Amino acid sequence: MDSHSAAVPPPVRVEHAVAHTLATTSGSDRVYGAVLATIGRWLGWELGAAWEIALPGRGYLRCVEFWCAPGTDASGFEELSRRTVLGRGAGLPGRVWASGDPCWIPDVTVDPNFARAAGAAAAGLHAAYCFPICGSGGVLGAVEFFTTRTLEPDEELLATMAAVGSQIGQFVERRQAEEALADAAELKHAVLDAALDCIVVMDQHGRVLEFNPAAERTFGYRAEEAIGAPMVELIIPPSLRRRHLAGLERYLRGGKPVILERRLELTAMRRDGSEFPVELTIVRIDLPGPARFTGYLRDITDRKHAEEELRASRARIVEAADAERRRLERDLHDGAQARLVSLALALRLGRAMLEDDPAGAGVQLDEAISELQEATVELRELAHGIHPAVLTEGGLAPALVTLLARASGVARLVGVPSERFPAPVEAAVYFVVAEALTNVSRYADATGVEVEVRWCDGRVELEVRDDGKGGADPTRGSGLRGMADRVAALWGTFEVASPVGGGTTLRAAIPCAAAVTAASPRG
Amino acid sequence: MAITLLIVDDDARFRRFARQLLEGEGFAVVGEAADGVGALSEVEALRPEVVLLDIQLPDVSGLEVARRITSGGGERAAVVLTSARDGATFGSLMSESGARGFVGKTALCGAALRRLVG
Repeated sequence: MDSHSAAVPPPVRVEHAVAHTLATTSGSDRVYGAVLATIGRWLGWELGAAWEIALPGRGYLRCVEFWCAPGTDASGFEELSRRTVLGRGAGLPGRVWASGDPCWIPDVTVDPNFARAAGAAAAGLHAAYCFPICGSGGVLGAVEFFTTRTLEPDEELLATMAAVGSQIGQFVERRQAEEALADAAELKHAVLDAALDCIVVMDQHGRVLEFNPAAERTFGYRAEEAIGAPMVELIIPPSLRRRHLAGLERYLRGGKPVILERRLELTAMRRDGSEFPVELTIVRIDLPGPARFTGYLRDITDRKHAEEELRASRARIVEAADAERRRLERDLHDGAQARLVSLALALRLGRAMLEDDPAGAGVQLDEAISELQEATVELRELAHGIHPAVLTEGGLAPALVTLLARASGVARLVGVPSERFPAPVEAAVYFVVAEALTNVSRYADATGVEVEVRWCDGRVELEVRDDGKGGADPTRGSGLRGMADRVAALWGTFEVASPVGGGTTLRAAIPCAAAVTAASPRG
Repeated sequence: MAITLLIVDDDARFRRFARQLLEGEGFAVVGEAADGVGALSEVEALRPEVVLLDIQLPDVSGLEVARRITSGGGERAAVVLTSARDGATFGSLMSESGARGFVGKTALCGAALRRLVG
């Protein structure tokens, strides 16, 4: 068939031209375009395309660059190529990927394994060759060229192009490695900069090598001020410095690490001398060379406050339970027990008087009967105060109705859900209302009080509102704090609004996702 | 000859029962007191031979009152402690108080008192 166009330079010069192009093209995204243009112009073929394997391990080739000689209209074929995705072995580039060798097709329009045959025919393209871009790890991609002539394979050209493919491959590989490195470095810096924890790197002499933005904010030193300074003087309070240094030296001399790689809680010091609790972990950096250490510090002031509040709240709850037991013992002793003693004495007196003074004995027996009745009532009241049976059997609705009926003064139950809730929730609501009503009758001078209980949005909410004199202070007296502790123990919230002269409103909300039905187990 | 007795208890009902019971069993109740302060002043004023003293008083522990009554020399009243609670719960505190002994309220009778005061 036709021979090549006239005045084709010897193939070996193409290699030099490509080398020159690679060396002088800046901008890694323009390399393919420049290389395609170089090869295309030197060899007189009309169209060229570069394909890359999308990410190592992914199974497809995609077209990343396209070139056509001036005066050639190949927009349709370009669009088709850019849209085409080829697996290993598929189409011309796919074949080259699979074999690792260059390939020549005399006429693509009649080739059985050419995915874009229709597009090529429409563009008037016939002959094509393709060579692999090879790096040290294997095939990275492929470059193909097309012409309108139908041509038989040119082995010399193919051999030359194979060498060019290696040239390009090494270049692409180096560029990919550099970009990966730059990305990694950028990523590392972004991670350190964004970290909420303080990150301090130091050398084996204890001098700061790196000081991230969180450390700058927390301790009050700029990174430039911190770097090169001894870490102990920047961060550790004077009382702890010697121990820290001793530990570090011990480790460097080959001793067992005592402080390394454990989470320690200790006191750190800011630039202004103020001290605060931190959680610290020190790890040795696992790279060759002299020892370096990274310290991760987290300001745990808030956590410590929360822990202390939790501990204090638990202690208050336990003390409240103990105080309740003491009160119970006293109430039993003073109430029902005293009655039973009187009862026993009346009966003994009556017995002693029976023969000589039957009428007097009768009086003692009447006293005994009356004491017994009062003792029974007192025991019932006591039991009701401990835990009313109506609450266990019937839930909040009947229990609150009873509670408000017995309360002194005017108390109105605005609303109460008819559902049953887990026993701890019902108990908490009941006893908070009971104590609130007691407070109202003792302190508030109110004309009326309203109680409302609702179940909505997965919470049981209660409100006790009175129109009394207000001024209730949760920090004085343990009653309000006891209610708050009870509610907090169930992860609930508790608040008191009590402006002086403006009445008092207690609000509590306890999370409770589901009501209890008859079939479900009760606590 | 009836033994003179001071009854100390904050429960008026118990004082009434104890008086009725013990007056029929050879004791002469010369006074009553409802708290520790009253007890000490009545002991001073009436000089009873025996004091029946409840351990649970509103102002001060009956054990402390017993200690005050029985400490020092001279003619001192014999103190018998009483309580609705079980005497065993007070353990060694009782012997340290100087009292002659303990009688539970439901076991109260003249014979028990006489056994303790001799």
